[in-house]
Amino acid sequence: MIRLISAELFKLRKRSMTRILLWVLLGMTVLFYLLLFAIVQANVSLPNPSAAEGMQNALGLPNAVPFALNVLSAFGTVLAIILAASAIGSEYNWRTIRVMLTSSESRFKLLSSKLISVVILTLIGMVVGLFGGFIMSLITTAIGGYAFDFTFATDEYLWDQFLQFWRTFSVLVPYMLLGFLFAIAGRSVMPGIALGIGILFLEGFFTFFMILAGGWIARIPDYLLSVNVDAITALNDLPQGFGGGGPMGGGFSSQAPEISHAFIVLAGYSLVFIVLAFYLFQKRDVTG
Amino acid sequence: MTDQANIEPQPDAGQDDNIVLRTIGLGKSFGKLKAVSDLNLELRRGEVFGFLGPNGAGKSTTVGMILGLIAPTAGSIELFGHKLNDNRWAALRRVGAIIEEPAFYPYLSGWDNLVMLARAIGGVPRAKITDVLERVNLLDRARDRYSHYSMGMKQRLGIASTLLRDPELIILDEPANGLDPAGTLEVRDLIPQLAHENRAVFLCSHLLHEVELVCDRVAIIKGGIILTCAPVKELLERGPLLQIKVDDPARVAAVLAGLPWIRSVKREDNYLIVDASKESPSRVNKALAEHNIFVSELVGRSISLEGVFLELTGGESGD
Repeated sequence: MIRLISAELFKLRKRSMTRILLWVLLGMTVLFYLLLFAIVQANVSLPNPSAAEGMQNALGLPNAVPFALNVLSAFGTVLAIILAASAIGSEYNWRTIRVMLTSSESRFKLLSSKLISVVILTLIGMVVGLFGGFIMSLITTAIGGYAFDFTFATDEYLWDQFLQFWRTFSVLVPYMLLGFLFAIAGRSVMPGIALGIGILFLEGFFTFFMILAGGWIARIPDYLLSVNVDAITALNDLPQGFGGGGPMGGGFSSQAPEISHAFIVLAGYSLVFIVLAFYLFQKRDVTG
Repeated sequence: MTDQANIEPQPDAGQDDNIVLRTIGLGKSFGKLKAVSDLNLELRRGEVFGFLGPNGAGKSTTVGMILGLIAPTAGSIELFGHKLNDNRWAALRRVGAIIEEPAFYPYLSGWDNLVMLARAIGGVPRAKITDVLERVNLLDRARDRYSHYSMGMKQRLGIASTLLRDPELIILDEPANGLDPAGTLEVRDLIPQLAHENRAVFLCSHLLHEVELVCDRVAIIKGGIILTCAPVKELLERGPLLQIKVDDPARVAAVLAGLPWIRSVKREDNYLIVDASKESPSRVNKALAEHNIFVSELVGRSISLEGVFLELTGGESGD
C-alpha cells in the first residue's frame, strides 16, 4: 500500500496540472486580498457601513487565517474536484488503468492509494493557501500602516483555527469524492469535473428556489450539501458579510441547520460517494 | 491489509512446474454476446505461444481475463499452478504484459514511467531500470518525455516495462506495431531470447509471418472459439496442398469429396485446392483417372501459417 501511495504521489508531483492548481489557489487568494485592499484604500462608500468595516477587519492579522480558510472553502472545493477527478479519470483517458491494475496488489489498494494521495495533496494545498493568505495579510497590514499586533494569537485562538482548518477540509471532502465517483463512473476526467462542479454550483441555485418555495420544500436543502457546508464554514469567526463561505457564497438559508446535523449529512454523503466509487471500481471489467 | 507481495504461490503436489498458464473452460459473455467460449489453453516455460485471430475474435478479452482485468463468466485461470483468484497479486507479479498497445503517462519521461512502475510493483532496484532500457535500446532517450516518443520507441518502452518485474510469463499484444523493419527484426530476435531465459511468451499478433518465425505453438481463435491449437510445425505439415486445374471443377470437387483420404477441397476459379494430407499427387491423379477425369495441371502448393489462418478463419484478416 505504501509503495502504491508513493507511486501515486510521484505521478501527481510530476504532473504540471498539480502545480497549476496550486498556483491558481495562491493566485485567487492574492487577488482576493488585493481587491479587498484596493476597495478599503479607495474608501468606496458602501450602502452598508458595517460591510466596509468588515472588509477592513478581514484584512487584519487576527482574521488572516479564518479569511484564508474561507477563500479555501470557496475556491479550494473547485480545485479539489479537479484534482480528484483527474487522479483517477486520467488513468482511463491515457489507458494506463490497465497497467496500474496489473501492477497493483488489488483494485481496492490502488483506489485507496489514489484517494489517500489526493487527500495528502489537498491538505498540502490548504496549508500553502493558508500560508499565502497569512503572507498577504502581513503585506496589506504593512502597506496599510496597521499595527503588527499578535496578542490575538492566544492558545484558544490557535486551537480554534486548528479546528477550523479541519472543518474546512471536511466541507471539501464530499465534493472531492463526488468528482472522484463521477470520473470512475464515466471512465474519464470530464464527467468527474463537469458533474462535480456542476452539482457544486447548481445545488446552490436549487437550494435558493426551494427556500423561496417555503413549507416542507424549504426543509429539503437541510439534507443537501450546500446548506450544511455553509453551516460549518459559518463557524469561522469572520466579520459580518464574510461568513458562510460555501461555494455559492452561502447565506441562502434563513435558518441554518445544527452543526452536528451538518456534519452527519456531509459524512453520510461522503460515505455514499466513497462506497459507490469503490463498488464500481471493484466490479466493472476493464476493457478497451 | 496484508502485504501479499512476498507470498509466492507454491505449486500443488503433482503439478507440472513447467506449466505457467492454464485456462480451463474459460468463457466470457457480455450480455447475450459470447466473447469467449470454453477456452482451454496451456502454456509452458521456454515456449513462445502465438494467439491469432481476426478482429473481435476474443483475443483481447482472453488477455484481459488472464490479467484479472475482466471477470470470466465461466471456467477458471491458473497461473503458475494456482487459481488466479486465490492469490492474484502473487501470480500477476510474475507476469509482464503489454495490452493492445503500450500505455504510459505522457507527461513523464520513459525513465520516470519506469520509476513509477517500479515503485508500484516494489522490490525493483534502480539498476534494473537501466538494464531493461538498455536491453530495448532506449537508454539514450530515456529522459525524453513519453509524449515525444515515436510509436516504435513506445513499443520498446512497453517491452522494457514488462521486463521490469523479471516475469516468468510475458504477454505481448502486437509488439511489432509501429516498428520499422530494423525494430521488427530486433523484436523478432528478442522474443525467442526471452523464451530461452526460461520464460513463457504469449504473443498476440497479426503479423503471421513473424508469428511463424518465432512461435513454437499457435492457437487460432474466431468468434471466441479456438479453431485450432497446435505446434507451428504440425500446422505447416498439413500440406502440401495440391492445386488442380480441370475442365469441370464442380464434378471433380464432388468426386474428390467422396474420397475418404481427402481432407478438404476448395474451389478457386478454375482451380481446386485439395488438402490430401500426406498422400502423393500421383494417388490423386490416379483416383481422378479412374473416374475418367484428366487434369490439365496438378502442382504442389506449400502452405504457410497465413494460409492456415485464412483457411480456418474463412479469409478474415488477422488485424
